[in-house]
Amino acid sequence: MPSSESPSSPLSLAARLEGSHVLLTGVTGFVGEALLHLLLSEVPGCRTTVLVRARGSQGAQARVAALLDKPIFADVVEAAGGAERLLATTLGVLEGDLAAPPPLPDGLDAVVHCAGDVSFDPPVDQGFATNVVGTRDLLARIDEALAREGRAPDTLHYVHVSTAYVAGRRRGHVAEAPVEHDVDLAAELDWGLSQRADVERRSRAAEHLTKARRRAEREHGRAGLLTAARATEAARRAWVSEELVRIGSERARSLGWTDCYTFTKALGERVVEGWAGTHRASIVRPSIIESALVRPHPGWIEGFKMAEPLILAYGRGELPEFPAAVDTIVDIVPVDHVVAALVAVLAHPPPPGAPAYFHVTSGDRNPLTFGVLYAEVRGYFERHPFTTGDRGAARLPEWRFPGAPAVERLLTTSERAHRAADYVLGHAPRSDRTRELARRLDQQGRRLAFLRRYLDLYHEYAQAELRFSDRSTVGLLESLAPEDRERFAFDTAVIDWGVYLQEIHCPAVTEPVRAMDELRRARGRTARTRAREVGEQPGTAAFFDMDGTLLSSNVIETYLWMRLRELPAGARFAELARIAAKVPALVQADRRQRSDFLRTVYREYAGARLADLEQVVDEELAAHVVSRLSPDAVRRIRQHRAAGQRTVLITGAIAPLTRPLAPLFDHIEAARLAVDERGVCTGHLAGSPLVGESRAAFLHSWAAEHDVDLAASFAYADSHSDLPLLAAVGNPVAVRPDVALFRHARRQHWTIVDWTSPPSSVRSLNPAGGSGGAR
Amino acid sequence: MSRPGFVLEVDDRTPPLVVHEGLGFRLERFPLGTRVVYPPESLPVVPDVDEAIREALLHPVDADPLPTLLHSGMRLTIAFDDLSLPLPPMRAPDIRGRIIEHVLGLAADAGVDDVALVAANALHRRMTPAELRHIVGERVFRSFHPQGLLTNFDAEDPDGLAHLGTTEHGEDVEISRRAAESDLVVYVNVNLVAMDGGHKSVGIGLASYRSLRHHHNAHTMVQSRSFMDHTRSAMHHSAWRMGRVIKEHVRVFQIETTLDNDVFPRPYDFFQKREWEWSVRDQASMLAAKRGLAVAPQRLRHRVFHDLRSGYGLTGISAGEVEAVHAQTLERVHRQQLVEVQGQSDVLVLGVPYLGPYNVNSSMNPVLATCMGLGYYFNSYLHQPVVRRGGAVILYHPLDEGFHQLHHPSYVDFYEEVLAESTDPAVIGQKYERQFAEDEWYRHLYRTSHAYHGVHPFYMWYWAAHAMDHVGDVIWVGADRRAATRLGFRAASTLADALEMASGTVGRSPTITYLRNPPQLLADVR
Repeated sequence: MPSSESPSSPLSLAARLEGSHVLLTGVTGFVGEALLHLLLSEVPGCRTTVLVRARGSQGAQARVAALLDKPIFADVVEAAGGAERLLATTLGVLEGDLAAPPPLPDGLDAVVHCAGDVSFDPPVDQGFATNVVGTRDLLARIDEALAREGRAPDTLHYVHVSTAYVAGRRRGHVAEAPVEHDVDLAAELDWGLSQRADVERRSRAAEHLTKARRRAEREHGRAGLLTAARATEAARRAWVSEELVRIGSERARSLGWTDCYTFTKALGERVVEGWAGTHRASIVRPSIIESALVRPHPGWIEGFKMAEPLILAYGRGELPEFPAAVDTIVDIVPVDHVVAALVAVLAHPPPPGAPAYFHVTSGDRNPLTFGVLYAEVRGYFERHPFTTGDRGAARLPEWRFPGAPAVERLLTTSERAHRAADYVLGHAPRSDRTRELARRLDQQGRRLAFLRRYLDLYHEYAQAELRFSDRSTVGLLESLAPEDRERFAFDTAVIDWGVYLQEIHCPAVTEPVRAMDELRRARGRTARTRAREVGEQPGTAAFFDMDGTLLSSNVIETYLWMRLRELPAGARFAELARIAAKVPALVQADRRQRSDFLRTVYREYAGARLADLEQVVDEELAAHVVSRLSPDAVRRIRQHRAAGQRTVLITGAIAPLTRPLAPLFDHIEAARLAVDERGVCTGHLAGSPLVGESRAAFLHSWAAEHDVDLAASFAYADSHSDLPLLAAVGNPVAVRPDVALFRHARRQHWTIVDWTSPPSSVRSLNPAGGSGGAR
Repeated sequence: MSRPGFVLEVDDRTPPLVVHEGLGFRLERFPLGTRVVYPPESLPVVPDVDEAIREALLHPVDADPLPTLLHSGMRLTIAFDDLSLPLPPMRAPDIRGRIIEHVLGLAADAGVDDVALVAANALHRRMTPAELRHIVGERVFRSFHPQGLLTNFDAEDPDGLAHLGTTEHGEDVEISRRAAESDLVVYVNVNLVAMDGGHKSVGIGLASYRSLRHHHNAHTMVQSRSFMDHTRSAMHHSAWRMGRVIKEHVRVFQIETTLDNDVFPRPYDFFQKREWEWSVRDQASMLAAKRGLAVAPQRLRHRVFHDLRSGYGLTGISAGEVEAVHAQTLERVHRQQLVEVQGQSDVLVLGVPYLGPYNVNSSMNPVLATCMGLGYYFNSYLHQPVVRRGGAVILYHPLDEGFHQLHHPSYVDFYEEVLAESTDPAVIGQKYERQFAEDEWYRHLYRTSHAYHGVHPFYMWYWAAHAMDHVGDVIWVGADRRAATRLGFRAASTLADALEMASGTVGRSPTITYLRNPPQLLADVR
């Protein structure tokens, strides 16, 4: 490595790095990609090897090829004479995972480690594995490579990309120096890595599972125990990852860091510092990295970083306040400044045993306050508002910066109100209005969850009153040759925040969102309430639930029709009163278990003769069943039949009640009342009622028996308890669903249709005998 | 002596006039010079109904007295008109029930024990037991219904039909097997309008689709000018041909009755009085009804109207040979309903009331409202239509009642699927009629539930075919716009707007005629 110093006319960076061989990690990330681009385009004499891990079926080579296919690399690839040529000459690919780094190639002059977990709230074990173990293992591989080649330790320069926020929950001036702390690295590492096993074990504890299962059964019990079990297990998994995050943050805060990310990053630096006793090492600490100022082009950004979700949420009018003070500094640097500084650092290895520290930050010399940030972002959106949908520009909230506690209060109150509304809605009778309310409430809930997550995450950073000194970085910049100071600009003092935010960053960040909005508008409002065409596929079937889907009635109502027919007028009233008194118990049973509910109702049929029931249905109730039929439902059934598909009615109602609908279906699966030898109903059912999961089980066995392709079949149902039925087919349709099913259907993008029942104005049992006959 | 009908010419002293519109009415101020046709007041009624019935049965026209036709061991079938007549339903006791009691009495005297009663409902819906009881009366119902001897006619029962042959025009004649195989069919009719009765009674009321399709189609209807005048109606010509085939096989003893115009019972009798003659009590009733209906929910309004039962008086009864009886009947109907109108006008205004033949105890859906306005009311003329060819018809109805799922299931699909594609009666008849007529589900509902036959909505549309062919513009005042569009018409908020919209067809100062019915009237346009 040419490293002779010549203070009068400094060598250019390209000259310094000419002929050297650099290993890069993390090139598929935001900073790594920019760094690779800069090296390839401005330091062509430097050979680069990138360490990339295979993902899925895509090998490292293929991933790099895909990377080079991106527009920003077009010039570089062309200058090199094609991607293959580039890969054959200056760009090498080393496949491997940082979790277990592979042996490194020979002849390396430098290693730049920019891979790392960018999430602020990683599960604790993952934070340690990536930021501490990953660094340690990489350094071990470097030692191994040097030993293999028989080189001295000081012949390789290791550049470590950290973060300025390793300073933790300090206040005020932060120097470019090691972070002061006396944490026992080995003990913390041990602890951190063992957490997953520990939390997994705790999550399986009986008392924990009991609670989760009870909750799931309360919510999904109607759909069946397996559905509830699935929900329980999903809840346990979610709890494990949440708990790991919580443990990490708590430990970090107990030691003076903001979160697990900065904590493990600081420990990672410790690992580097230990290694640097005999080696050359530099530590580069950028602050919040945002879109490029100049290179590869102004506004270049990959994926969403820290501030983008907040900017977008503000633009949509969904971020009412922020828990920061007006004058708190938010330390942002453009990505091209970071990678330029990295190249400069790369070309200036420090002496062994004295690691060099560089802050790539803006806050000290060109501070951007939250007040200015807010004003500029607002200014941008005032000039270029989001015009989603057809409601015109979103209303931009006005921030008054009331301080963190006030924002927290606002959020907590909103969350409480949301929970209350959710409870009420979960118990409300179904109607179009409840469904609309549920939709709005869910939207509100998503916004609240978003706010909660981001405010919790950024709360610490918004409070951080840190001034990162970047004297060493400035010194490095000033030592460069004049033309390099242009080419590798990293003086954050030159940034005009107004121009950067309004003309570079915000347009870049909002562009994909606007494109998506445009697409949505172009697609227009396709009628969501139309089920897919029935098609002409043979070997398929359509399954229909009865109560609530085909008919506007329920089991209690049908029971009453039947009983009231048989009773004299006086007894009718008594019967009505008796049933009314039982309603609370029935509602309870229905919420708990659909089958319990049905059993409770059918007990009332004890003592009735089955033949009589059938006669009552044929003579009197057929009209009531048919008049409650939804015309849309009937049309749909007939469409299926016309298309040659089989139609099946599945219902928890008793078989006699389905008689009027028999001609519409190829098969009717209904509850059968048990009868004694005289044909009198015992009040019990001949088999278990077909509800919840048993419907799905019936579906599968029926489909197998009749050679029906369920994936191409349709199912129509209205209630949460029908979830397994709907999930069993390829074309589920929720018909005027209850809130729980409505939510599920929306999440799964199932068709939701609105089959209105007839607004029949004639419902009296005696149509001819009007009361006004003799007036 | 009752006053004859007359034609009022609206001048500046004319008060606002009643216009029916579905489950309500409005008081409309018509442009000066508008002709308003009022039906005659009720004719004198027969002094003793039982005496009149007995007289008719014992001294029939062109036939032997009924007792001589009855003998022990014979097979007797009594058929009667269904609930589509009269409108509104008659306050109990229904005249048909009273006649049937007399006939049954004579049959019992003669020792006839094979007697069956069948409602001649053709493709209309099956009546409920309560509806049957209302028509035949409690005593007859209790004696015959439990044994299954009082039934609705089932035009889709393959075992219940008999093919009697074809007419000289090749038209199939297929009627109820029970009637065809009876020694005597006594038909008890209520002749509300000139269209009813005659050979239409047995020949249509007890016929199957196979027979009906020959005259219930768009082509025949356009050639029936009007179907209230059987001498100029292609539909009736066909029915008369069929009637003569029936006559060769079956002995029919026809009993026809005619009613007066006493349609609205108190306190709604102001509807059938002339507005300038309203007493203080009438005005109070009108105001109460108007205010009440304005605030009442649709269900309640439906109930108020559909609970009305009319206290008709019997203006006459004839019995005997079908055609001879019908000639007498028509003479009485004309006396009760005929109003002479001088010349056609550019615009015809009609108020479509809450009730037509096919929505008794049911709802007036848009297809039925069209049939009522453009079918029945438009055709209430002799000689020539009230409106000139290419003129405009303005109808009042909100078209918002929706469909009765129990009674009109095929109507829903007709409206959603057929009318969405075409509103031309000839086109839809050709393309869809068979499909609806032979649909298994509709057939099932017609036979076991209380649904009109699958093909029935097509017939409604055919009834209106002549009007659609004749006029240039159809505008509904106060109608649901989407419904009007689906029907192929336009909607206006007010009469003034409707006239404005029609001005392209009939000019700025058209001649206007308003037929102020119900009660029924028949315009004799000279």
